[in-house]
Amino acid sequence: MSARQPRFNQQVLIDTTPLPDDVPKVQEVGASSAPLMSASFFIGARCKPYNDDYMMCKTDANGRGELECMREGRKVTRCAISVLDDINKHCLDEFRAHWKCLENNNQQMWKCRLVEHPLNKCVFDKLKLEKTIPGTPEGQAPVHTKKRSIYM
Amino acid sequence: MPQDMPPAGGYEPVQYKRNLPARGFRPSYYFLGVTLLCTWGFYEFGKGVREHNELAREKMWSRIHLIPMLQAEEDRDQVRRHLADKAREKELLGGEFKVYHSDRFVRPTFAATPKDVTK
Repeated sequence: MSARQPRFNQQVLIDTTPLPDDVPKVQEVGASSAPLMSASFFIGARCKPYNDDYMMCKTDANGRGELECMREGRKVTRCAISVLDDINKHCLDEFRAHWKCLENNNQQMWKCRLVEHPLNKCVFDKLKLEKTIPGTPEGQAPVHTKKRSIYM
Repeated sequence: MPQDMPPAGGYEPVQYKRNLPARGFRPSYYFLGVTLLCTWGFYEFGKGVREHNELAREKMWSRIHLIPMLQAEEDRDQVRRHLADKAREKELLGGEFKVYHSDRFVRPTFAATPKDVTK
């Protein structure tokens, strides 16, 4: 009941009042889904402490904590922006190729391995961020580094 | 009238077996072949299932890494609207009023629409 979104017929009404001045300003990420997905593992690699902090704050507040966790949330956003900026600065061509491939392939990562490998290599060489998938079984190549895969 | 009797020395043996050459290999070879084919097929299928699981894991983790960032953005927007709501309420009503008999945050049901179009 209370979660129902108000709908208006005349025009789209969006409250554009900015946050008060005593809240530190933070730029929003502003990336769309494919670049975010392409950069997700690098965001996870660099921002894990911030992300964990934020999620712990949210858990402590029983999943609410919009006001309490603003500080952690700003750190999370700033960290994600820093990763995206660095990738854009150092590996723009590879990054762009990968997210365009994701965009064209229904955002299925297994369809974009050929352009993903150069991106991973570039990011690892220049930014020292490695893509790791937690929980991969021991003694088995992670799925993004497999030489021969069935889904290709 | 003389009765018909069997010929001397008895009848010829009756041929009841078919006299057709058996084509192909022995049946057991076919059975073995199909069994091997199916075994190989299930083996490959199993490999595919495991790879599929890994792909699903990859996808899940890529989302897990993004969740805090997206949630933080959404929360900030909620806070912005909430504070704006309160400021507007204060401006219109001249003070803070508790609508509900609890301190829990309740998402507002009604929204005050602005006088002029904002977007």
